[in-house]
Amino acid sequence: MLVQDLMQAPVHTATADQSLGAVYAFMQNQQVRHLPVLRDDRLVGVITDRDLRLATSQLRSDPFDPTDAVADVMSQPPHTAGPLDPIEEAARLMRQHAIGCLPVVDGEILVGIVTGTDLLDALMRLTGISKPGGRLEVRLPDETGQLARLTATVARQGGNIRSVLSYSESANALRVLFQVDTIKTRALARALHAEGIDVLWPPIGPPTA
Amino acid sequence: MPSFTFHPDYYRYYFGPEHPFSPVRQEMLLSLLEALEVPLPLDEPAPASREALCTVHAPAFVDAVAQAAPDDPTTHDTAKGLGTADVPVFEDMHDAARLLVGGTLHAAQAVASGQTPKALQLGGGLHHGHAALASGFCVYNDLSVAIHHLRAEGLRVAYLDVDVHHGDGVQALHYDDPDVLTLSLHETGRYLFPGTGRVHELGRDAGKGYSLNVPLEPFTEDDSYLDVFERVVPYALDHFQPDVLLVQCGADAHFSDPLADLLLTTQGFERLFRRILALTDEYTDGRAVLTLGGGYAPDATVRIWALLILLLQNHPLPDALPADWLATWSEQLDATLTPTLHDAPQAFDIPRRDTIAAQNTQVSKRLLELVAPAWYQAW
Ligand SMILES: [Zn+2]
Repeated sequence: MLVQDLMQAPVHTATADQSLGAVYAFMQNQQVRHLPVLRDDRLVGVITDRDLRLATSQLRSDPFDPTDAVADVMSQPPHTAGPLDPIEEAARLMRQHAIGCLPVVDGEILVGIVTGTDLLDALMRLTGISKPGGRLEVRLPDETGQLARLTATVARQGGNIRSVLSYSESANALRVLFQVDTIKTRALARALHAEGIDVLWPPIGPPTA
Repeated sequence: MPSFTFHPDYYRYYFGPEHPFSPVRQEMLLSLLEALEVPLPLDEPAPASREALCTVHAPAFVDAVAQAAPDDPTTHDTAKGLGTADVPVFEDMHDAARLLVGGTLHAAQAVASGQTPKALQLGGGLHHGHAALASGFCVYNDLSVAIHHLRAEGLRVAYLDVDVHHGDGVQALHYDDPDVLTLSLHETGRYLFPGTGRVHELGRDAGKGYSLNVPLEPFTEDDSYLDVFERVVPYALDHFQPDVLLVQCGADAHFSDPLADLLLTTQGFERLFRRILALTDEYTDGRAVLTLGGGYAPDATVRIWALLILLLQNHPLPDALPADWLATWSEQLDATLTPTLHDAPQAFDIPRRDTIAAQNTQVSKRLLELVAPAWYQAW
């Protein structure tokens, strides 16, 4: 999944010479919390609702005024992503810099924006289901050919794999959660077990054992 | 007197000997009731018309089912779920499937017309059928076609689904209808087919608040199941005020079922069915349309459905099952059958029993919290 698959486009923007008050009203109106900032149509920074609240807070000794310019408050230079970056790269950048969005630029041109919410949507898409199906979970040794053994066994049983999620559980074990197009997951689990695969769910024995 | 709907051609809805959705269950059931000398007058339904099917299904889907031939893979429209692992194509699939729909429709007509307060369709309950997708052993969605008929008769319908799998087809087909309440209790779709049926699936637009789901933990036992039922179902019926109840009585929540992981016993099912029948007296003047459904351990499934029929008829419950019947069927199935109507007392060794019950309670509370704003117009 690439940034261009989940970015918001077209994207709302602010300009560097706009007033903080105007940008605050715009964010309220559009229900957004992050705006790329342009000067002469070029991306020069990012302003967020948090930047605005902190900058104008009465708790500061020198709060900004609503008439001050965006350029005085925005983060710059902005961290950005490219449309063809993998989403995990975008997530890593956002975590590393503790930021909530990345403007997406194609060369010099601003083409979209990715926020933390979009990454949550991606997580839901990756883990969710789009068609009826059952799920199985297995633990595989982290070795060449193990996933192939799993998918080959499922295919031999006539199961169609709809999605696969995996992550390293430890140095030498991979947890794999996959969705198949059948209600008969126990029969699949038994076939995998017979292949020597460690099936974590569903139970392969009688339920009362 | 409740009416019962059945046709010998129901047996033609047959995916083959290796497939768990087997008509042997009805054959065993009818022969058991005969052996118990329970009178069971059966109404024979007519197949549902194309027009009736199309109240629910896309015409192109009905055409695809009608054209599907077992020997010709080019007619298997897998994008519509036909010719897949769960719904292989069989001979005269369209006619067999629409006869089951006709049966549920017949039962609904009998109740809607006032001919009988309760009607049991001895088949059907194909709750995974979608508008244009066959799924989970279900081709046409008989329940949904019946709901359309009941709605056309001006009745508000509460659909209750106790099959162990989420009633996803029925839910989806009435998701935006505020005059149809769908209520499904099922094992959580975290792993189990079809994967849906989470508490936040509450309906859409005007129908928001009229789809309710109680996803239960694997290894849920009778007491926790019935506790959750009691927290949610009477409350929902009281709010919705239905005219008729449609109940999908799948038996696959039984502990011996090979396709799922709940641990209900026949004793639990008896309590559940008694409670459902009592709720019809309380909320629908006794009106209810009931169907069979899932249930893949024939030994348990048949005893559970026999219980249902005996309770519907107010017939005393026998203890032992007839020896001849047991001998015949244990030979045919090459399996040991439970000799009594009820299960022998069960003691499951469940390490997380308290956690499971607590989680189920939590989920049912969360559901009621989530639905309250929709019911009381406070979005
Ligand atoms: Zn089921």
